[in-house]
Amino acid sequence: MPRRLAALLVAVLVWGGVSEAPAQGQKVKLGVLRLTSSAVLFVGAEKGYFKEFGIEPEFVFFEAAQPIAVAIASGDLEVGATGLTAGLYNIVAGGVPIWIVADKGREWPDHNLTALVVRKDLYDAGVRTLRDLKGKKIGVTQIGSTFHYNVGRLLEKEGMAPGEVELVPLQSLGAVADALTAKRLDAVATAEPFVSRLETSGVGVTLIRTGDSLPWQIAVMLYADRFARDRARAVAFMKGYVKASRHYFDSVVKRRAGPEYDEIVAITATYTGARPELIRRGFPYQDRDGRLMPGDIGRQTAWWFAQGLVKAPIPDRDIVDESFLREALKGMP
Amino acid sequence: MSTRIPAPDRTRALERRDHPALRVAALVALLVLWELLTRTGRIPALFLPSPLGVINAGVEMARSGELATHVATSLRRIALGFGLGALGGVSVGLVTGFWSVAEAVGNPLIAATFPIPKIALLPLLILWLGIGEASKVAVIMLGVFFPMAINTHTGVRTADPLLIRAAASFGAGRVSLVRKVLLPSALPMIFAGLKLGAGTALLLLVAAEMIAANAGIGFLILHAQNLMETTKLMVGIVLLSLLGVASHWLLVRLERAALPWKTP
Repeated sequence: MPRRLAALLVAVLVWGGVSEAPAQGQKVKLGVLRLTSSAVLFVGAEKGYFKEFGIEPEFVFFEAAQPIAVAIASGDLEVGATGLTAGLYNIVAGGVPIWIVADKGREWPDHNLTALVVRKDLYDAGVRTLRDLKGKKIGVTQIGSTFHYNVGRLLEKEGMAPGEVELVPLQSLGAVADALTAKRLDAVATAEPFVSRLETSGVGVTLIRTGDSLPWQIAVMLYADRFARDRARAVAFMKGYVKASRHYFDSVVKRRAGPEYDEIVAITATYTGARPELIRRGFPYQDRDGRLMPGDIGRQTAWWFAQGLVKAPIPDRDIVDESFLREALKGMP
Repeated sequence: MSTRIPAPDRTRALERRDHPALRVAALVALLVLWELLTRTGRIPALFLPSPLGVINAGVEMARSGELATHVATSLRRIALGFGLGALGGVSVGLVTGFWSVAEAVGNPLIAATFPIPKIALLPLLILWLGIGEASKVAVIMLGVFFPMAINTHTGVRTADPLLIRAAASFGAGRVSLVRKVLLPSALPMIFAGLKLGAGTALLLLVAAEMIAANAGIGFLILHAQNLMETTKLMVGIVLLSLLGVASHWLLVRLERAALPWKTP
């Protein structure tokens, strides 16, 4: 009996040792939203950009931004592609490190991503600016969400106080759109494809396309702390990401047409199940080399802290780490 | 004459004794263990806030008035929803229990609508009644109405026929039959329904306050979750637990006052 046990133990150890050995195509657990804004990662996987550097991304799909940040913090994910919320900043302020490592989408002029949509009858009655929405109800997904940030910063730019409109959190983009349709709200901060849907169904009119008046770093690539310590893999992943990002930028952001553009639309359609015409409307802007908007993370944490929704101010060195990106770019033309 | 034979009481082991000190000690031990676990620093406070941290956060929120706003808002919603639901449920239960015509009409309707999880109706209620107070009170009301109606109906139907006949033969009219025989004999079932309803009301309160609310305990919990403020989230959960204990205690008190013949 003991001998058999020993044999079993040896077998387990050997087997364990073998599986530990570095193999071609290391798996990386990657959390993404099933949305057009994740297109660059789908492209990286389908065109083999990650595989080129020995990385095999294993997609885990999420319905909302916040759970991705939580899964990164708990160590269930190694890499995440998601929006920047007050909740994410509070995780870091609470002492659990998460690293913002690259650009994954910005609010940018002339690009559809999110918008402030006002009810059609109010628009027809003369509501044209944010100032006209004073005292009105604006629907957002959650307090602390990217949509909350959009509304808050837009108000600030207009010289208005946060309390001059009433934010109504409805938890999901679907519920936000339904509430506007049922005339329970006066305006909503929402994203594609809901913006298009509300407009084509005659429910609402876009008052402000966020990117046109407030460019900001809305989405990023995140590394879990343990993955960041695994330097070789972390840099290898970044090399694949930069290649995918450049391909995305050249065909989607710059050329906006052509066979490569159509291929990206098709790839995104297979991953998201969305209709191609909706996908074409919703490609966000992002930097060609994956660089973050300089200083924007600090601007965001300072704003959330000023609103009392992030516990402590977070210095950039505790949350931003572009060294992986710099190292990856070094070897690239 | 007779000698006493010592007979050991072999049922002693089955005797149920109260251990009040042990009850308190178990609770305290759990809290101390929890506090120590978080003090080691192995688990980040983000994932498991310490009991002292939760208490501190609660005290701070109480001082700033935040806590009072949330509790008052939630209590008002519960009182309205629970009150209206219980009143409606008891009335419907009495009517269907007493008149066969009402039973024929009401029972199939109740049987068909009772199994619908009321949370599933919430989005619909919001579209009908708006995102304000009405939809939140309505969902709690619905949740309380059904157990009350069903329990009251059963209570009336299972009233002792002997008592009913006795009352009738002593010349009791319809009204005094309901007031003096049927209602009192349905009371134990009504109170069982109230206790069930109280649990449902808390559940639905939280669900309702998680959509389009700006205050309330459910809002507090969701808000804290969205912002990843786990300590505040725990404060909300503790509040709910206290509210549950308090409502149960209140109902037991009320039951003792209303059913003096049942109290030991």
